[in-house]
Amino acid sequence: MIWKRWLTVLLWLVVASTVGAQPTTIELDFPTWQAEEPGAGEYWTELIKDFEAKNPGVKVKKTQVPFREYADKMTVRFAANNPPDIVHLPSRNFLAFASQGWLAPLDEYLAQTDVKATYTRMNDEMIYNGKYHGVLLMAYGMMFYYNEKMLQDAKLAVPKTTDELLKAIAATTDANAGRFGWAAPTTEHPNLVVEIGTWVTGERANLFKGNQYNFTDPAVIKAVDKFRAAIKNAPKGVSSEQARQLFVDGKVAMLRDGPWVAAALKKAPDATRPYLKMGMMPFATIPGGTSNSLHMPAKLDAEKRKYVWEFIKLTTTPEWQAKYTLLSASPAPRRNALPAAELAQRPDLALINKSAAEAVNLFPENVAVRENYNEYAKLFSEAGIKLITSERGTIDVMRDLQAELIKRIPLQ
Amino acid sequence: MPAVVAVFALIAWPMYLIVSISFREGKSLNFAALGQRPFGLGNYASVLTDSATWHSAWVSFAYTFGTIAPAFVIGLGTALLLNRVFPWRRWLRSLMLLPWAMPGVMVSIVFLWLFDASFGVVNYALRSLGLITADVAWYTNESTALIAVIVPTIWKAYPFFTLTLLAALQSIPANLYEAADVDGASAWQRFTNITWPGIRGPAVLALILNGLWTFREFDIIFAATGGGPAKATETLGIRAYNEAFGYFYMGRAAAIGVLMLTIALAFVLVARRELRKEFF
Repeated sequence: MIWKRWLTVLLWLVVASTVGAQPTTIELDFPTWQAEEPGAGEYWTELIKDFEAKNPGVKVKKTQVPFREYADKMTVRFAANNPPDIVHLPSRNFLAFASQGWLAPLDEYLAQTDVKATYTRMNDEMIYNGKYHGVLLMAYGMMFYYNEKMLQDAKLAVPKTTDELLKAIAATTDANAGRFGWAAPTTEHPNLVVEIGTWVTGERANLFKGNQYNFTDPAVIKAVDKFRAAIKNAPKGVSSEQARQLFVDGKVAMLRDGPWVAAALKKAPDATRPYLKMGMMPFATIPGGTSNSLHMPAKLDAEKRKYVWEFIKLTTTPEWQAKYTLLSASPAPRRNALPAAELAQRPDLALINKSAAEAVNLFPENVAVRENYNEYAKLFSEAGIKLITSERGTIDVMRDLQAELIKRIPLQ
Repeated sequence: MPAVVAVFALIAWPMYLIVSISFREGKSLNFAALGQRPFGLGNYASVLTDSATWHSAWVSFAYTFGTIAPAFVIGLGTALLLNRVFPWRRWLRSLMLLPWAMPGVMVSIVFLWLFDASFGVVNYALRSLGLITADVAWYTNESTALIAVIVPTIWKAYPFFTLTLLAALQSIPANLYEAADVDGASAWQRFTNITWPGIRGPAVLALILNGLWTFREFDIIFAATGGGPAKATETLGIRAYNEAFGYFYMGRAAAIGVLMLTIALAFVLVARRELRKEFF
């Protein structure tokens, strides 16, 4: 009879646990490369907290994926019919995903918001086949970071031109002592293309001329030669994340990067923090572009679709656009996202906004290249590695790259 | 009947899919729509006429032979050592086999640190010995990257040789060595006349199996270099991955897969004579 008593107790426990159970939790999968980034990481944490408070029973599972492998990992997930619920993409990869039919059009949702009226025209980069397939998170201008003490020790002023910059890079480098004048991605990395593109755009050269590749143009070659001169004094084999860290640690005198690095400077060691400064790029033109964006996968069940949109919509509100600027130290796409009074108290944000306003897009605008950006970036970064590690002439490397691009990605 | 079903479900059907996809031309990663793509030999034409394919084939061969030859020598050496009687022999045998059990990605992470350009132990050791004067960026330099991915693969591959050859060594009757000692045979003569004939069969089999595994190795290379820098470590397997998931050309990736399969089959056919002699 004892077993009957135990069985009764067990049944009661099962019934009680079922009756007392919480409503089913919906979990939204959200991979991003920014989860651990200073500034942006804090923004996402705060935003998710607010979203979960406003949507009880919905949880956002944020996971960190390294940037170097981010686009490939997302491609594999979409191809395997297992896309994330909230899709966060580097904007340069957006068209490749949209052209596969992997992203949902958002026009119906956007019609219920003020996004089209209040965002800068950079948001139009989210249009594919006449419809918006995403919402922009940031468009930016490149920033120049420098270690004031290292420049002073070399008796140098802050460079204002690329020639001054190259001289300062050479003068502050002492590789044997582990000190470098410049840091940039020097390994096969998607941001190596951005680094070279920055020098080309900054020198007012253009990699495209109408519907043709323009990689062997004398102005392009001259700009790439300047990139090579700078990179000779940079540590080898580092990614863009490592380059930032070396600057923050006081081992690098100067760095080109996006405005988001400003947030990382606050976490620098006490000995170097006071000397790390941010300024305008010492180039003839400020290179920049769209950075990253949020999207909804085309295949998603109705319930999740509703909450994914609520999440995206929350990022577009004036409150969270202002918080984006403050927490990530990057320009939000909503015009005047930060009130003028608040902006006046933050000269760093004013500088970042100025750079964004003056920026010229360094990323390719040709549709064929945008649809095949991964392949373009891979071929370009392979050539970039040759420019860094070999003694081959710049013109030869760029000619080979152009021939390969014509073969693999013919322009429309 | 169950065997036929198993072979069809596990081997024939996936093979059919790969071959079928290899004839579908154009760019798409949408598997449901792949069947609607034009059917033809275009993928084979573009893959076989592309110099990058033959570069990848060369890298695959260099990687395979660069791994297998030293791994075999190390495996044979460790098997001969572990075949001797000494204290802690059992523990050491288990320890020696550990690299084989390590996931490839973990192996890559460990060696990425060891070979790090600025803070790696390898550069520090070479500098201390006076063999280099400046740090070598092993994984980002075109001329050293292949060596840098071969070394961890050797480390992971040699225990299989150790295990196979040790088992074979233990099956050689001890009285053969006693007779050789009585006859005054040298160590080399004992090895060439008793040990090698005793382990040759398992050694050939282990070489073929390990060779095929290394030929299609993916995770160590992908985690360390992704096939770079500038295609220096882009084996056929890595190239197939890049074509499919980097550039969205699933048909071209499948055609490279079929090419790899053909090369592996040719390798087995060449080795068939030796296998027959030893086992059949």
